[in-house]
Amino acid sequence: MNKKVIFLILFLIYFNLNIQAKAIIQDDFVNTTLKNKNIEKPYVHNNYNYEDTKRVPVRLSVIADINSEKDLTEGQTVVFRSLQDVWHKGRKIIAKDELVNARVETIISSGMNGIPASIIFSDFKFKNVDEGQFSDTYEKYGQDRSLWVYPLKWALTILPPTGSLTNFIKGGHAKLKSDEVVEIYYYPNW
Amino acid sequence: MWKRFFIILAAIFLFQQYAFAVDDSQLAKEITIQSKIDETGARLLNANKIDKRIVFAYDKADKNAKLKIDPAITSRQVILYEGDYKYIANEDELAAFLARKILIALKSYNGLFNGYLGSFEVKAAPKKFELAADKRAVDFMVTAGYHPVALITFIQKSCPQKRFDRFSNRNLTSKRLAHIYEYIYTKYPYYLANNPYFETEAYQNFLLTSLNNRRLFQEKVKTGSKEAVDYE
Repeated sequence: MNKKVIFLILFLIYFNLNIQAKAIIQDDFVNTTLKNKNIEKPYVHNNYNYEDTKRVPVRLSVIADINSEKDLTEGQTVVFRSLQDVWHKGRKIIAKDELVNARVETIISSGMNGIPASIIFSDFKFKNVDEGQFSDTYEKYGQDRSLWVYPLKWALTILPPTGSLTNFIKGGHAKLKSDEVVEIYYYPNW
Repeated sequence: MWKRFFIILAAIFLFQQYAFAVDDSQLAKEITIQSKIDETGARLLNANKIDKRIVFAYDKADKNAKLKIDPAITSRQVILYEGDYKYIANEDELAAFLARKILIALKSYNGLFNGYLGSFEVKAAPKKFELAADKRAVDFMVTAGYHPVALITFIQKSCPQKRFDRFSNRNLTSKRLAHIYEYIYTKYPYYLANNPYFETEAYQNFLLTSLNNRRLFQEKVKTGSKEAVDYE
């Protein structure tokens, strides 16, 4: 009888410990939307060799004007157009007018004291070319007004609180017009 | 008399040997940490094709002084203080720390006066650049082959929660974590579906403390909204 009770107590302790060990918080949202789905592993760039310094400029432009403050969100795809043929060793790598998708990586909004906004573009997708062979990102800045806002702020410190009013001067939005040339680089031997 | 003299001499000799041994083991430990930082830092720079010079150093100082300007901004040198190092459990978390600082150091290469203006802007408005640095750190980690969820676990362990967001020059840590989670979910879902950190205490604690923010994000995904979520 005693042995049975001891066995039962030991079993309950073991069962309780096991239950506690498995009581983890689940991320239901990830479980329902991502688990058991065929998601491709992102590109990892670990096979590099930077001995060769040869690089070929690739000139692009956006197909429609972009403004950091209007209808632009992070993660959005932006379409660029190649402005010229790009050749390497007698082979055409990129054709003129080829459409190139890129991603709006980050939008840094304009800040107080004239600090400009910026847009970082990345993931330029060219047909049949390894993305590891291109410049990583392209960053477009707005107008930097801090260059004159800070001197103005310091000049106004003798008339308090007027210096603090310069806090409300914001930097320029980042704009990319369709006639603006964006230059990234293709490194054929990287 | 002579006997006592020799005993004292022997004791001094032994003590000196011990002191040197302690110094040597301390030095060896620091060299090991430094080489680990150098290797991880260089891998992040190489994999991300960062062609600007940035160096890495380990400093035994316990904490970064509040008034001291981050050397990543001023000297383009990423310093890992012992106070931060104690939160680092593995190479992924080390990469998480370094990747954030690399972006800040990179900012000092942009802008007028050889980047002085860019550095000044990061110092003057750190809040604005904090979220951008977190997101780019995720990109740097993924490209270099590190697991980006380690950025969540590292911040969860090491960054205390501020009281205010609107009137502070820093973002709430919970807000930063929510933005990182959203960024990984949308850009690198593979790493949330294959998450070796899921059962760690730090990640479980993140899940526990981010219920509301994750619910807000869930709503955004369900409604297909493009608006930025106002995380708490």
